[in-house]
Amino acid sequence: MPTLNDILVLLPEFYLVAVACLLLLLDAFMKPEQRGTLHWISVVVLLVATYLVVAGQPDVTVTAFGGMFVRDQVSEILKVFALLSTVLVFIYARPYLVERKQFIGEFYTLMIFAVIGVMLLVSAGNLIMVYLGLELLTLSSYALVALNRDSSLSSEAAIKYFVLGALSSGMLLYGMSMVYGATGSLDLVQLHTVVTQSAMPHLLVFGLIFMLVGIAFKLGAAPFHMWIPDVYQGASTPVTTFIASTSKLAAFGMAWRLLETGLGGLSQHWQPMLAAVAVLSMAIGNLVAIVQTNLKRMLAYSTISHMGYLLVGLVNAGPEGYSSAMFYAISYALMSTVSFGVILALSRAGFECEEISDLKGLNQRSPWFAALMALALFSLAGVPPLFGFYAKYLVLQAAIDAHMLWLAIVGAVFAIIGLYYYLHVVKVMYFDKPEEGGADQPQADASLRVVLSINGLALLVLGVYWGPLLGWCRHSFGLG
Amino acid sequence: MITLSHFIVLGAILFCIAVAGLFINRKNVIVLLMAIELMLLAVNINFVAFSRFGHDVAGQVFVFFILTVAAAESAIGLAILVLLFRNRSTVNVAEIDSMKG
Amino acid sequence: MIDPNLFQLVCFYAFGAVAVLSALAVISVRNSVHAVLSLVLTFFSVACIWMLAEAEFLAIALIVVYVGAVMVLFLFVVMMLDIDMEHLREGFVRFLPVGLVVAVVMLLEMLGLIGVRVMHAQTLGANPAGDSNTAWLGKALYSQYLLPFEIAALILTVGVVAAVALTLRQRQGVKHQRASQQVLVNPRDRVRVVKMAAERPADAAPAQEPQA
Repeated sequence: MPTLNDILVLLPEFYLVAVACLLLLLDAFMKPEQRGTLHWISVVVLLVATYLVVAGQPDVTVTAFGGMFVRDQVSEILKVFALLSTVLVFIYARPYLVERKQFIGEFYTLMIFAVIGVMLLVSAGNLIMVYLGLELLTLSSYALVALNRDSSLSSEAAIKYFVLGALSSGMLLYGMSMVYGATGSLDLVQLHTVVTQSAMPHLLVFGLIFMLVGIAFKLGAAPFHMWIPDVYQGASTPVTTFIASTSKLAAFGMAWRLLETGLGGLSQHWQPMLAAVAVLSMAIGNLVAIVQTNLKRMLAYSTISHMGYLLVGLVNAGPEGYSSAMFYAISYALMSTVSFGVILALSRAGFECEEISDLKGLNQRSPWFAALMALALFSLAGVPPLFGFYAKYLVLQAAIDAHMLWLAIVGAVFAIIGLYYYLHVVKVMYFDKPEEGGADQPQADASLRVVLSINGLALLVLGVYWGPLLGWCRHSFGLG
Repeated sequence: MITLSHFIVLGAILFCIAVAGLFINRKNVIVLLMAIELMLLAVNINFVAFSRFGHDVAGQVFVFFILTVAAAESAIGLAILVLLFRNRSTVNVAEIDSMKG
Repeated sequence: MIDPNLFQLVCFYAFGAVAVLSALAVISVRNSVHAVLSLVLTFFSVACIWMLAEAEFLAIALIVVYVGAVMVLFLFVVMMLDIDMEHLREGFVRFLPVGLVVAVVMLLEMLGLIGVRVMHAQTLGANPAGDSNTAWLGKALYSQYLLPFEIAALILTVGVVAAVALTLRQRQGVKHQRASQQVLVNPRDRVRVVKMAAERPADAAPAQEPQA
């Protein structure tokens, strides 16, 4: 039976559920003119949740509800960054939503429900909890993508996302059912112990393959990446930002929970499969991105390649590799919020700033946003001394440690190829002549400017002063 | 005598029919959604069988949750479908192609 | 006297055959309404198979939740959207061989990998649930699986919020009937008797006066 202690362990989650329900009620009785308050309330609510996560951080791993929920260092870090990146999405999204008359309460409540899903997913101690957390996140995401109701592009993206997402859930579940059949347990810790002595090893590997397909789908790694470009392009930009940042942290958390906590004993089976998926993602992501003319689509292919690098870290299958992959996931979340934040800041009513050509001569119109965008792109490309460089260096180092030098070389080669399309955008911003009707001096509001600047400069600061964050990541995986 | 393999083979057959349905009905979104429901049914058969033969309650509890989530999922999916039909007047996947690249 | 084990096996094959055939019908029939109804039959036969496995609660839940709610929703949407069926069938014949080959190869591979022989040794033993499957499941659900149960409630909430947010439209210029205002209406607010002096328009002819 659950005790008060169990509830205290889940305090941040319970708090967010209660507040999300209250916000839903508040929104129903609120006049449309007062929605501005809803925005600030949501931001404060998430910041308070972040505080609760940090303040209640346990020294040792704590479980609640009979092992269903695990609160450990890894989940704490992922939760903190998931909450913070959602705060960034809220702040960047407000002017965009107001100008397009999409400033509705459901945007905030569905986002908060999605974040609750992330928090439950990264803390899951049981396959049932993994599934439910994942579905809470994805169901909210489907609705968020479709929320721009009058855009046929959005509903098209939503239906593609939905069909492929439901298919991947089906694959994941089929894999889980086979693993359950082979081991007779759904508890991740128990799975870890019985996985090596199963009476039906074939069934176990068979289930593992299906689960890997599901994980690759959710990460958006090739060859299961088809939904990423369409969803990035079709969803309204705030939702794209959310999917590119918070969801990726969740996908890393899920992959780690399932592959290491649950099926760590089968690492010799999943390592080569993940390595193949990683190589394919880096190749497809970096090569197809070159021919894109739509900025959001280009960033989508860039995501695919970044998920490849994240998987390179996971392939290591040791604490060094996991901490580097987590560091990579965090760095990617921060970089993508900056790049999409600039797109949001430059968009105004009736103008989306989606094509690369919209950025022509941005430097002459608003040098500060051009500088921030360049910072984000250089960081995504992995140029030293920015955040993205050190993250890439760490995952490639992890591959070398796992005696997969070839994987590290492939990664480095594709990073150099990838440099081309990031630099192309920088060239367009700095050396092309501005066009009429392109992005002009943005009217972005003060909170967006300030927070976006801090977020952008963080890429530079963390690129030089990465010690504490990396130390935190390494500590969470039991490294010194 | 019914054995575990009877159930698992039935599940595998239904799973493959669902995959075939996804392949041959690439155009009709409604049939795609139904094929996914079939896939979940195959998963549920597996869980029920493993739970019954393994003398463990967890599998049947999982089926309970899959049924619950599938209900919410199809409500959202059909809402998106209605939205799509309003905007585009089609459920033909081949015509849903304004984004390419 | 028929052997109960044999009877069970016969029932399994009968329901299994119906389930497989109706599942094939789901993906191959021309009319979407027929496809939905075939899916209902599939669910129904699988529910019967779960009865054979003594999972009574889930069998009933499958019928109540799926046949009663989800499939009715499907049927409702299929009938509401006016879908041009002939057009959607294009390419069906073209993809049919590919789909069949993929399905058959996949099935053979799966059956090979799963290890059917090992499982064939496992027979239906004593029912772990004891007398009541529902009590067995209920006890687990409300003790060990309490947290997932709460999250399932949260997911249903998200389903409601999302479905309403996506499909509810407030159209401009639509006239609504407000019952509360109709009931509260006071005759004095509706008709106002204005007293005014009799007037005669300056240019009106006296002959029209009786009609005015």
